[in-house]
Amino acid sequence: MIERKILSSTSSVCPECLAKVPAERVSYDDKVYLEKSCPQHGDFSALLWQGEPAWQEWVRPKIPTQPQVCYTEVSKGCPFDCGLCADHHQHTCTALLEVTQRCNLKCSFCFAAAGGHSIDPDLATIDRWYEQVLLASGTCNIQLSGGEPTLRDDLPAIIALGKAKGFNFVQLNTNGLRLARDTAYVQRLKEAGLDSVFLQFDGTEAEIYPILRGSAILEHKLAAIRNCARANIGVVLVPTLVPGVNTHNIGAIVKFALEQLPTVRGVHFQPVSYFGRYPKPPADADRITLPRVMREIESQTNGLIKAANLKPPGCENALCSFHGNFKVLPNGSLQALSNTCCSGEKAEEGARKTRSFVARQWSGPTKSPGSENAAQADQWDILLQNLKTHSFSVSAMAFQDAWNLDLARLQDCCIHVVSPAGKLIPFCAYNLTNSQGQGLYRQGG
Amino acid sequence: MNNKEAGQNSTAWRCAQCSGPLEQGKVTVSYLGNDFPVQELKCPKCGLVLITEELALGKMAEVEQNLEDK
Repeated sequence: MIERKILSSTSSVCPECLAKVPAERVSYDDKVYLEKSCPQHGDFSALLWQGEPAWQEWVRPKIPTQPQVCYTEVSKGCPFDCGLCADHHQHTCTALLEVTQRCNLKCSFCFAAAGGHSIDPDLATIDRWYEQVLLASGTCNIQLSGGEPTLRDDLPAIIALGKAKGFNFVQLNTNGLRLARDTAYVQRLKEAGLDSVFLQFDGTEAEIYPILRGSAILEHKLAAIRNCARANIGVVLVPTLVPGVNTHNIGAIVKFALEQLPTVRGVHFQPVSYFGRYPKPPADADRITLPRVMREIESQTNGLIKAANLKPPGCENALCSFHGNFKVLPNGSLQALSNTCCSGEKAEEGARKTRSFVARQWSGPTKSPGSENAAQADQWDILLQNLKTHSFSVSAMAFQDAWNLDLARLQDCCIHVVSPAGKLIPFCAYNLTNSQGQGLYRQGG
Repeated sequence: MNNKEAGQNSTAWRCAQCSGPLEQGKVTVSYLGNDFPVQELKCPKCGLVLITEELALGKMAEVEQNLEDK
């Protein structure tokens, strides 16, 4: 009989009514679950972790840091005071601005429940959002998201506005459809200062897309990458991993990404999470945990990337992500870059390092002035250019839904969505919905 | 004389140990298990290498950053 062992306690919410409830992290052999009980709606259990690297070893403790400016007061307690409040434990690494709620796809899985006909925020509103981010978080990294941001013809103006305000790194979260067909638009985005494209890319097999995205769009993805290459915009491939749909394709995605260096800067996997209407709780088989993604990366790349080279984050909570950074050697093998982390780092220092790492690694491979004429170029410039074009990152982030939400993780969150009212809401709180699809923040603003 | 002026003139710097003039030569720089060959001013006799402040705080620091994890 498998022993039930309580590992630690935390808090969560009821997936039915979103009331705050106590929760426990409980192990059964090599599986760890979040177990909780709502006085009204009963017991819930959600798979958090399975297998190696072991739960107990996957730690990276941080000394919490408060937001510089809090837009909300601590009143009802986490997760009901997001804005951020003074009980939050981390600065902003990336601020996410939803510049439209319109979309040109009907995806099976969507954080944003996008696709409506709401009116886009105007430039003056977006200007206010940028100012709110500056005040609370300084010149953190910016991700323009939606909906599908490229439905806006004035997206270059939004990018240019962010750059003019001093944001060093502006990334576009996109399905890539417009980037595939409109090269002039891609060029305008580049000229406006776009650094990186966060490209929804669910696999290298055409059959994956109709299932996840409702449309056969692999060719569009490839064209989008080609057009970003021409414009020298860095691309990060972002697969949503859904068990039974594309989890067999993990290795092929990594290998494809490596073939697209230096335009493709890395792969960022997102194990599926369940936002929106799900009357039945997701089963274990509906989830793919971070340790399993790590093991699949190793086995499906035939050891090109080893799970041991993938590390917990220095910015967000350790249980939210992993990352590995590599140098591609002339023989095609990958050399893992050393992880210099230690225990008890300051959270704000982790946020600073991650902001700067992301900006460096995920931006386009800029050509140094002398790169066309190696004889005259400064040797250090060439070295730097070489490091840039031969560096590669593999990472994943596990978003939390109403079933597996651990409020201790939420408190450590560094990815903050700017609400219509200009507040900063941790990503998983902003997208949190109960089983009926009703949100905690998304409608409230 | 500041480092910048001296670094661009191979005859301006002399070795503190041997007193002879420094010359451009191959130097292998290493960081976190990575080796890179570069040309820098060095003493042909004892091998002492000149790394200017500008280089140490500028491009060399940038290379280091690129080899570090977050």
